[in-house]
Amino acid sequence: MPGIIEVDDLVKEFRTFERREGLIGALTNLFHRDYRTVRAVDRITFVIKPGEMVGYIGPNGAGKSTTIKMLTGILVPTSGYIRASGYIPWKQRSEYTKTIGVVFGQRTQLWWDIAVVESFQLLRRIYGVSDSDYKARMKRFDEVLELGRYLHTPVRKLSLGERMRCDAAAALLHNPPVLFLDEPTIGLDIVAKENIRAFLKQVNQEFGTTILLTTHDLSDIEELCQRLMIIDHGRLLFDGRLEELKHRLWRESTIKVDFRDREQAQRFEALSLPHIKTEKLGELTYRLTFDREERSTADVIRQVVLNADVLDIAIEEQSIEEVVKRIYLGGVFEAAAR
Amino acid sequence: MNTTVLLEFSRIGFLNMLAFRLRYYTGVVTYFINVCVYYFIWKAIFAADPSFAGFQFEQMMTYVAVGWIIRSVYFNNIDMEMATDILEGKISMVMLKPVNLQLTYVARALGEAAFRLLLLTAPTSVVIVLVFPVLPPASLGHFAAFLLSLLGSVLLVGSINFIIGTFAIRLKSILGLLRAKFWMQELLSGLLVPVTLFPAPLEAISGVLPFQHIGFTPMMIYLGKYAWPEIARALAVEFLWVVALLWFGNWFWDAMSRKITIHGG
Repeated sequence: MPGIIEVDDLVKEFRTFERREGLIGALTNLFHRDYRTVRAVDRITFVIKPGEMVGYIGPNGAGKSTTIKMLTGILVPTSGYIRASGYIPWKQRSEYTKTIGVVFGQRTQLWWDIAVVESFQLLRRIYGVSDSDYKARMKRFDEVLELGRYLHTPVRKLSLGERMRCDAAAALLHNPPVLFLDEPTIGLDIVAKENIRAFLKQVNQEFGTTILLTTHDLSDIEELCQRLMIIDHGRLLFDGRLEELKHRLWRESTIKVDFRDREQAQRFEALSLPHIKTEKLGELTYRLTFDREERSTADVIRQVVLNADVLDIAIEEQSIEEVVKRIYLGGVFEAAAR
Repeated sequence: MNTTVLLEFSRIGFLNMLAFRLRYYTGVVTYFINVCVYYFIWKAIFAADPSFAGFQFEQMMTYVAVGWIIRSVYFNNIDMEMATDILEGKISMVMLKPVNLQLTYVARALGEAAFRLLLLTAPTSVVIVLVFPVLPPASLGHFAAFLLSLLGSVLLVGSINFIIGTFAIRLKSILGLLRAKFWMQELLSGLLVPVTLFPAPLEAISGVLPFQHIGFTPMMIYLGKYAWPEIARALAVEFLWVVALLWFGNWFWDAMSRKITIHGG
């Protein structure tokens, strides 16, 4: 299956002007400027198939937003190739933008001072959405996002959560085959986040919309995306399924066990459990750490429960944040490969 | 892009202004004060020479009063708004839509003009006409030609401001350029003094620039200073400027937008 988004060897460089310090420096700047070239996106290649939901993550300044801006046709690449829904975004901007929806978490796509519904009306005209489609879609959006209550409020008076719901709906009013979201859940409370995620899931399933989203909230990825791309310093570090990332870098599991009394705890201590690291946290509480590749969680629990009287067991999920932090800090993939 | 979309953008321009209507109540006072200032200046000049530069005092007073009244229609800050949109990165919002960016801004200028006509020009004219001796238009035909020329003024200001706003792509600070253009427009449009009073070199410069068609041309038509063939010629030149500036603006934006850089966020 050909990709709906194809990116090959994409590069974006910015030229920044280095200021000299001090008065003499300022005067020198008037006549001679030193420019420095910064490579924000460095030879990225990937293909996204229709209907995929892909998470695009990386630390601040990694090049995520720059990539999105090139994919949406706002920025012109320095070199490399982009083809999305059959167009070259920056060259055929006007036709191309009809086939995409864009949500920027930090910046609304709606008109700031006018009522939300006015923005929707304008978008309807711009994209030539028929009256019946408009009504049907607004009804669907209202069901999931509950827009009705603030449709007549100016955007500037909406809370961030309300605004994001409106932005998400606005981006999908023309039912585009491709949707780009740049940090769609940034700053939202848990209810609003859930709301947006449910909406994206539904759109993806119902219309087969291809979705590429950047985020710092990894639970977005866990809930929405089968595929994950990690970028740092403009380079693509990982491109694959979330399970694969877990398999390679997220193998450690931890469970916390409370024993009934001291006697039971001693019975547990007497056991010899291979490949399990035991740590005493309190009088009757222990933490067991093991590699999921070597022992399954169920197996470990069974061994403990069969040998000692247990009051409580809690499985502690190692957060994906920890894994990603390790990737950002560098060297993880090289280490994992060895 | 069809006309419905253009109308829709004009409507948005109108509604946008409606959100800040209070600003325009103070505008009435500002325009009134400006006309007062010129009233006293010209009164002093005409006391010395009753047919100064081929104008009667009433004619000059009408030139000033109606000149300011039409300024309240054609004036807009699209250049500054566009520059802000570019510098703050909000321009991406327009760039992500399948519309011609220039037309959206010019349509917005038209919407603003309609708004100003209702909420600023109407009350301002009532006040000015009641207080100062303002002559009626030379004839009904002249008035129609004047209105057509005024539509040209709105389009001229819109297309010039679009070009000025586009400069923000390459400039870190656009304030200086905005100021320079503002005063050039105020002076060369003939708002402060009729362009026929300029010293010869300045009048020559003014002749090859579009600015005088913003204010001077409609006023000359209003006062009946032009015969019909002259009116036809003036209108033709004015609208040729509109077409040329729109064309250039579109090309200029296309060339410049490839260099756009929106960092962060």
